[in-house]
Amino acid sequence: MFLKVQLPWNVMIPAENMDAKGLMLKRAILIQLLDAFASKKATNELGYYLAVTTLDKIGEGKIREHTGEVMFPVVFSGITFKIFKGEILHGVVHKVLKHGVFLRCGPIENVYLSYAKMPDYKYVPGENGIFMSEKMSRIQVESTVRFVVIAIKWMEAEREFQALASLEGDYLGPISEGGDVGPMSEE
Amino acid sequence: MSGEEEENAAELKIGDEFLKAKCLMNCEVSLILEHKFEQLQQVSEDPMNQVSQVFEKSLQYVKRFSRYKNPDAVRQVREILSRHQLTEFELCVLGNLCPETVEEAVAMIPSVKTKGRAHNDAAIQKMLDDLSLVKRFE
Repeated sequence: MFLKVQLPWNVMIPAENMDAKGLMLKRAILIQLLDAFASKKATNELGYYLAVTTLDKIGEGKIREHTGEVMFPVVFSGITFKIFKGEILHGVVHKVLKHGVFLRCGPIENVYLSYAKMPDYKYVPGENGIFMSEKMSRIQVESTVRFVVIAIKWMEAEREFQALASLEGDYLGPISEGGDVGPMSEE
Repeated sequence: MSGEEEENAAELKIGDEFLKAKCLMNCEVSLILEHKFEQLQQVSEDPMNQVSQVFEKSLQYVKRFSRYKNPDAVRQVREILSRHQLTEFELCVLGNLCPETVEEAVAMIPSVKTKGRAHNDAAIQKMLDDLSLVKRFE
């Protein structure tokens, strides 16, 4: 789910970037904030950091004794993406293995759907292996699949989430097959 | 959040801070990100190089999974869904997954059928009809 969040942050401005003209200072603060935001990538609490939408408040700057930088406490609004256990989402298959498939879902690269969690589908080996049900429904690279999230793991070192998905439930499964087969079109 | 083990979005157990947080539908995120990207294009020769991977992947994703593209339609969809006493989370799940039947809608957000909530099938059907009208006239 994409979330609209409001966050406090401390922005450091090197002394040489301080300018008597207020507009330049605001610009320097914004640039620093955008850089810091993009390099943060994600946190366990709020998920992936997508974009800053507005800079809502700039507090009083405080000079740091040793470096001479000025620290400004700011409050800004932004968008994050967090995945929840029990949430139903759409994802795109990007890898098919014998024992399951990997889906991409928003900024999350590794949502794993194990064969054990899609009992209607059997692996069909080949140059490009696919999963297929008895009703000939296919899951292959580029398929769009609706799944439910059954577990989430935060990887601190990579600053990434991994998730486990399942198709066990009503109205879950491929909604468009991708690849060059199937007449089903995407919305 | 109280106890990671208990989190379950299907029952709306996602932690107070997220229940109160404003959620965004894919189509809303798409409008915001595309606008940001256009702004970048005006000041940079190679805008793709200016954005983070998280931004790039999310933009691709919401472009693919936005049922409504036009800003007026997006606004109407939120307006229609807002009339139905849904939580922010439920509202966005429906706006993203676009269920076609009442049964499918309830399967996507089982929490609406919990005790004490006044959602009957007729009201949900009306909501789905209103949404498909928006799509048809987009």
